[in-house]
Amino acid sequence: MSGIGVFICHCGSNIAGTVDVDELTEYASDLNGVTFATNYKYMCSDPGQELIKDSVEEQDLDSVVVAACSPRMHEETFQAVVEDAGLNPYRFQMANIREQCSWVHSDDMEKATEKAKHLVEMSVEKSRLSEDLEKTEVDVNSDALVIGGGIAGIQSALDLADQGKKVYLVEREPSIGGKMAQLDKTFPTLDCSSCILTPKMTDVARNPNIELLTYSEVEEVDGSVGDFEVKVKKKATYVDWDKCTACGDCAEACRRSGNVEDEFNEGLDNRGAIYTPFPQAVPAAYTIDSEVCISLEYDGTCTSCREVCELDAIDLDDEDEIVELNVGSIIVATGYDLMDPEKIYEYGYGKSKDIITNLELERIIDASGPTDGEIHRLSDGEDVESVTFILCVGSRDEELQSYCCRIGCMGALKHVHLLRDHLDEDVDINICYTDIRSFGKGYEEFYRRTRDLDVNFVRGRPSEVNVQEEKVELNVFDTTMDKLLQVESDLVVLVPALLPSEGTEELSRQLRITRSSDGFLQEAHPKLRPMDTFTNGIFIAGCCQGPKDIPDSVSQASGAAAKASTILSKDKLQSEATIASIDDDICSGCKMCISVCPYDAIEYNEEDEVAEITDVLCMGCGSCASLCPTGAIEHKGFKDEMLEAMIDAGLTEEEG
Amino acid sequence: MKELGLYLGCVIPTEQYGYEMSIREVLPKFDIELVDLEESTCCGAPLRNVNMFTTMYLSARNMALCEKKGIDLYAPCPICHLGLTEAKESLEENPELKDKINSKLEEEDLQYEGSTELYHTLDLLHDEIGLDEIEDQVEEPLDDLTFAAHYGCNTIRPNDLDRPDDSENPQKLEELMETIGIGTEDYPEKLDCCGGQVISDHNESALTKAGEKIEAVQDQGFDGLSTICPWGHRMLDSKQDSAADTIGESLDLPVMYYIQLLGVAMGIEQSRLGLELNLSPVDNLEAIESIEEAE
Amino acid sequence: MSLIDLTSMAEPDEEEQEKIEETLEGLKEDIPDLCYQCGKCTSGCEAFILLELEPHSIMGKSKAGFIDELVNSDEIWTCMQCFKCQERCPQDLSPVRVIFALKNLAVAAGKEIPSGYQKMLQSVLGNGLIQQPKEVLNRANETRKREDLDLPPVPEPEDMDKVQQILMKATQEKLR
Ligand SMILES: Cc1cc2nc3c(=O)[nH]c(=O)nc-3n(C[C@H](O)[C@H](O)[C@H](O)COP(=O)(O)OP(=O)(O)OC[C@H]3O[C@@H](n4cnc5c(N)ncnc54)[C@H](O)[C@@H]3O)c2cc1C
Ligand code: SF4
Ligand code: SF4
Repeated sequence: MSGIGVFICHCGSNIAGTVDVDELTEYASDLNGVTFATNYKYMCSDPGQELIKDSVEEQDLDSVVVAACSPRMHEETFQAVVEDAGLNPYRFQMANIREQCSWVHSDDMEKATEKAKHLVEMSVEKSRLSEDLEKTEVDVNSDALVIGGGIAGIQSALDLADQGKKVYLVEREPSIGGKMAQLDKTFPTLDCSSCILTPKMTDVARNPNIELLTYSEVEEVDGSVGDFEVKVKKKATYVDWDKCTACGDCAEACRRSGNVEDEFNEGLDNRGAIYTPFPQAVPAAYTIDSEVCISLEYDGTCTSCREVCELDAIDLDDEDEIVELNVGSIIVATGYDLMDPEKIYEYGYGKSKDIITNLELERIIDASGPTDGEIHRLSDGEDVESVTFILCVGSRDEELQSYCCRIGCMGALKHVHLLRDHLDEDVDINICYTDIRSFGKGYEEFYRRTRDLDVNFVRGRPSEVNVQEEKVELNVFDTTMDKLLQVESDLVVLVPALLPSEGTEELSRQLRITRSSDGFLQEAHPKLRPMDTFTNGIFIAGCCQGPKDIPDSVSQASGAAAKASTILSKDKLQSEATIASIDDDICSGCKMCISVCPYDAIEYNEEDEVAEITDVLCMGCGSCASLCPTGAIEHKGFKDEMLEAMIDAGLTEEEG
Repeated sequence: MKELGLYLGCVIPTEQYGYEMSIREVLPKFDIELVDLEESTCCGAPLRNVNMFTTMYLSARNMALCEKKGIDLYAPCPICHLGLTEAKESLEENPELKDKINSKLEEEDLQYEGSTELYHTLDLLHDEIGLDEIEDQVEEPLDDLTFAAHYGCNTIRPNDLDRPDDSENPQKLEELMETIGIGTEDYPEKLDCCGGQVISDHNESALTKAGEKIEAVQDQGFDGLSTICPWGHRMLDSKQDSAADTIGESLDLPVMYYIQLLGVAMGIEQSRLGLELNLSPVDNLEAIESIEEAE
Repeated sequence: MSLIDLTSMAEPDEEEQEKIEETLEGLKEDIPDLCYQCGKCTSGCEAFILLELEPHSIMGKSKAGFIDELVNSDEIWTCMQCFKCQERCPQDLSPVRVIFALKNLAVAAGKEIPSGYQKMLQSVLGNGLIQQPKEVLNRANETRKREDLDLPPVPEPEDMDKVQQILMKATQEKLR
């Protein structure tokens, strides 16, 4: 007669030192449905596993209960053993008599043994009601989507393409490159940003496995891991990119040339309506900004660019296009924006051209930037005699961003090096800091070298910045010297907080991934799963997850690509078997389950007026089943009857 | 006709008579009936330094006087306005304290509920009466003048206690000035303190602060300075001569309460606005009559 | 506490520290523990240049428990109550309120308080206002009283004695 076998583990003396395992075995063998019970020193060891396997056969067992440690430790181990022995793995139950019993009751063997009996009995009761369960399988599409073409997105795309995967790279600007393209040089090695970035950008352009969709945005995401359906809107560029060679004749002819704020140069100079963001842009092609083009936005009369384009590449009838993609996995790498420093009104941003952000300074220092790398006062072109940095502008601030921007300190130290290269040696450089954070590899050494560059590190924070007739003035109390210093500067550089890039909230909704309280996209575990999201098959990389520097962005990007690849390399994916399922006949269509599901696995079927679960999305958390007011949701492997039987067993009075 | 309890506090009714006179003269023209609160006392804010409970008690008492009459309260002094606002919010958050205070108020047959709205001159003019209404009543716009604004610290700070204007970029006073024709501009020292709160124990430092602010405004070519705070006005106008002596500079900056300027622009008889009491040389301004003329 | 101030041999006083926190409680979470000593408050303090008030160091000392030193100092009586420190503190703290609390402690402990405050307090307790109506001068050096200016009498409680009694009792009370 087939029945349940109970296997009790000593875990050395971990369990046997506190629980009387022989008494427990005897007790177990008398339990309802149990036909065999035994104990052994280490159940997880090879001989222990053999013992289980052999017993299943010899004793004709149909279910197995192991009383040992936490299922977190060894549930999978024993499931595999049971499967090996020819049983369905869900015919295995685990009673935790270590963490939940022996470890916490080591001072009272009698009571611990009593409790262990209850725990074993509960598992046996659950086991009596257990059934065979099957995992569902889904086919995996081996293509990937990367959203955001900054350094993180570029790295992920290249890694995946190298593994032979087809990658769609979606970038909302006309060119990939992200913020790194705007930087002059990079800490801590001071290599030129575009020298290390441009080759990667051209690799992207050349790689046959990468399909680049710039000037594009994700419109809609459906489906789930292995099989996402994505709609991408390719905005009209009004230029045929197959024809355009980026000769630039059109830009010169454009009647709005020099009239439109140049975003790439942080508004420090102007472009026209037809433009390419920067010379090394990828793809190398021009785009018409429809909002400012005379013909498109106003009266349709201007033909200047069309007249000069010898390749006839300009097409004012171009229209937005929706591209439908099918991918198995998605990597989000949408980066960051700088906080608008006007939010700290007292620092005077906007009151004088000489009060700038660190990103504006990058553009000014850049030899191909708006000032050709010449550093003068922006208000009147006079020489710069003094530059002052203010760190933590809106970072570590309880009203604005409470977190650290992680790049501000190092960025300012870098700027000291670059300014020393560009300016006379008698120019004063002051850094108002609260704490200098130089935690990365080679960063502290870089900080030490910077200190040797005749720079005033002022340990304090100004209260306000005032624009005087000639100079920009601030008072700052230095807490190391107990002195209030008056500082007059020609340039004041604010180092603002980093924010998730605009649109992150909407994107997170489309993708059904969560954001942490700071607004950045949330990782599934802050230490152990830093590039996973809670949604299977979607990964995050770079600053969209939180502020970080280039080395960290690139590491995370490669990590995310590797993670995605583990999915994309499979033909089929198995979903969990212990998931929720809805009985249509009982479901009243109240939709309460939809609102609690953290994985967005439940949808409402308008036609049948019932809720429906997408098996591959369900992670088996149990939220819906416990909430459903009609009892229409059953959690496989954790059915109500099972739990009730366990509770009854757990609450029986001690005998004698 | 809106009835408001005129809560003058300490400094206005004991020495800043010009503010009180112009308030009593101008506001009724905007359909506001000022009701005197004969039984009122100090708002308690100066006693924050000594004992916070007494501060709360006094504030609650003054608001209770208004509640008894069923009207809202108008406090032209920003320090009172802040003290009252703080008490109002604290008592709302802390019912225990409210009960404790009410048990004391009972002895005088008073009861504090928390139902009075509070106004200061700035929001009363700018938000309640409104710029359009003011513009309608201007008879002689003061077009040729450029004035700097002095808000007073407590008019704008701390912003977590519902102030009449923004803490870092207040503009209502400027807008009010522009409405009566006066030109104005931001200046770096705009938010600087007048020193008024330490005048009794740190006379020289307080006067230095006032003097430096007046000097800065004067050096930037303003024709005058407009105030809405009696403490600030006392430092910048009434004590301008002492401030000049203290910093060793000659100061002759006309300083006027905004509501006095408004009265002048409305064509109100200048002697009714207490202009003779401004000790800074206000009659350097063409629009302002000299004392002899006024008589 | 394992701290000793070697300049004065003072030790932190936790009991006094708790009293400050008590006074501040119910107003806001202004306890100085979260201060990271950025110094923004002192950079803008209206009283620093002339009177050497350093709100950040008041926060530091309060946090460490050197309350006695502060309560006995003249420094706490120099604050201009401009609230700039609170307004601009990136950690949402309020040095000015900590200073108020310290002054309250000083008064409660019977420390000698500056004469101006003493006078103000006495006046309020005596007749309800911080000062009596003054005869003022006009620009022509003539004196003017409220009556001369057609202003009604200064407000005053009908039963000043009773208000006085209540006030005397109130000054013994704590916020909670
Ligand atoms: C002034 C300054 C100096 C710096 N200097 C250094 C340095 O010297 N060394 C260093 O290591 N780090 C430096 N950094 C940090 C560096 O900029 C970042 O680490 C890096 O840019 C992060 O790359 P990313 O790809 O995550 O984000 P980003 O560079 O922001 O790229 C994100 C990309 O995604 C696109 N995107 C956003 N939303 C969408 C959407 N919804 N759909 C499609 N595309 C979208 C954006 O257009 C952008 O191209 C500096 C930062 C600043 C502000
Ligand atoms: S501004 Fe705030 S955090 Fe900075 S030192 Fe002052 S109290 Fe501390
Ligand atoms: S409130 Fe006091 S401590 Fe704070 S900034 Fe003003 S004067 Fe300084």
